[in-house]
Amino acid sequence: MTDEPKVGKTIKPILEVRKMTRRFGGLVAVNKVSFTVQKNEIFGLIGPNGAGKTTLFNLITGLMPSSEGQLIYEGEEITKLRPYQIAAKGIARTFQNLRLFGNLSALENVAIAHHIHNKTGLIKGILGLPPAVAEEQKTFAQALELLELVGLAERSQEKACNFAYGDQRRLEIARALALKPKLLLLDEPAAGMNPNEKGALSELIRQIRDTFNLTVLLIEHHVPLVMGLCDRIAVLDFGQLIALGEPEAVKNDPAVIEAYLGDE
Amino acid sequence: MSDFINNYGFLIVSMIFGAILGLSVYLPLMAGQLSLATPGFYALGGYIAAILSTQVFKFTGNLFPVPFLLLEMLLAGLVSALGIPVLRLRGIYLAIATIAFVEILRVLALNLEITGGAVGIFAIPQPFQTQIEYLWIALPLLIISMFFLYRLERIRVGRALSAIREDELAADAMGINPTHYKVMSFTLGAILAGLVGAVSAHFLNTWNARQGTFDASIIYLAFVLIGGSRTFIGPVLGGIVLTALPEALRAMAGIGNLPTWLANFLRDGRLIIFGLLIVIGSVFYPQGIITPDLLKRLKPVKR
Repeated sequence: MTDEPKVGKTIKPILEVRKMTRRFGGLVAVNKVSFTVQKNEIFGLIGPNGAGKTTLFNLITGLMPSSEGQLIYEGEEITKLRPYQIAAKGIARTFQNLRLFGNLSALENVAIAHHIHNKTGLIKGILGLPPAVAEEQKTFAQALELLELVGLAERSQEKACNFAYGDQRRLEIARALALKPKLLLLDEPAAGMNPNEKGALSELIRQIRDTFNLTVLLIEHHVPLVMGLCDRIAVLDFGQLIALGEPEAVKNDPAVIEAYLGDE
Repeated sequence: MSDFINNYGFLIVSMIFGAILGLSVYLPLMAGQLSLATPGFYALGGYIAAILSTQVFKFTGNLFPVPFLLLEMLLAGLVSALGIPVLRLRGIYLAIATIAFVEILRVLALNLEITGGAVGIFAIPQPFQTQIEYLWIALPLLIISMFFLYRLERIRVGRALSAIREDELAADAMGINPTHYKVMSFTLGAILAGLVGAVSAHFLNTWNARQGTFDASIIYLAFVLIGGSRTFIGPVLGGIVLTALPEALRAMAGIGNLPTWLANFLRDGRLIIFGLLIVIGSVFYPQGIITPDLLKRLKPVKR
């Protein structure tokens, strides 16, 4: 198990997870997990249920404070930052159980994530001065483009809660992209999708990584999808990192086989 | 016509104030915050106006100068803007803290000398000859507030509030600072309540600890819950209609052949009726009567 980038790539870390630990009383959900994510990688995080993957995501995005450890993003320590500050730095995420703004339209959901890139405050917004109006138009135009990217543009005015499950997952991705992130965290983006949808999603993730020049960190249960898509994979079991490397190496790692593989 | 105005001038102005107080509860609710603090800021605004006009401002002539009234309102608004930094509290805990705030102010008002103790402050000077003339202040205030909210619901800041209301955690993860916007909406609501309080002190001529109690917060909440909690038109209509409701009930009680218990209930059971309306309203109209969907249906060519 080595934390080196994929063969042939130069080392350009974007996120360094250093001995991240999270305890809930006596239970250690994440135990001294360390790895580095390289720029433009698609980095997979797999492991059995309850291994601590989503907890680790929550730690990285500031939704939960860590008990120990550090997070270094683009050379800067972000360990103690609040979620909205981490979002402003360029880390966006989707949620395992979907957290869309249900009563708002798909377009509004995506436009909201554009919040930090706009500067119009309360007074200027109320007055509706030309710069404010221009900013609004730009926001909604960009939001519509993102909806087109995920194939939901014709239904932009529909309430988010009325979309089918698979479409809601894609809507969350569009929303995360509106943040203009450099690092995109996807928490089980393929959950509940049929094989066709999974294939399309895989393509979409690759397309997103290439078009927007970003880094993707994803949690996924569907092993073939992860093996086919990711440059490198980290495997968690009971909160600990038990394997890290390129898909082939991880697949054949005895510790991983013992703990997890063969799920699907 | 002038008979009608004389008889109902007080009610009409009260209805306008009711609408604005509904908006005062609506603002924190836009960010998903249930705040029952409106009567507290209403009382505070009233006391500021009452104390200033009876003890500080000296004026000649019959009528209290309107510019002084506007100055009092400005001060009431500024003081209300200081607000309470309680917005680390969530949900029910915030509601409880605001109930406590109202109670604390009420007890202070009862016991301090400057507020006139239990008697309160009376003979507050009038800027107008008749009550209906208070519309000169009330109506512009309502219209400005409505315009403000109409715009707020359509801009970036308004969307941030909606996002927080829908899912605060997700809004946080999307770059919206929840505390900042919750404090903002709370403060705006407080300012509105303070402004109405300042004018009401003059309007009602006396001001005491009975202005702005927990009972009142339930009534203002009813304006929003029944009128509509997802659009600013809801609290406005709720405030106007429900302020007139006790009068309407009193009129109904006077109809010919009602049994005595019913007539008495209609006349005096105001709070029970409000409570019932809140319960029934929440079951059948969870978003209130005026909802964004209803507005969309009424205006087929929108945006």
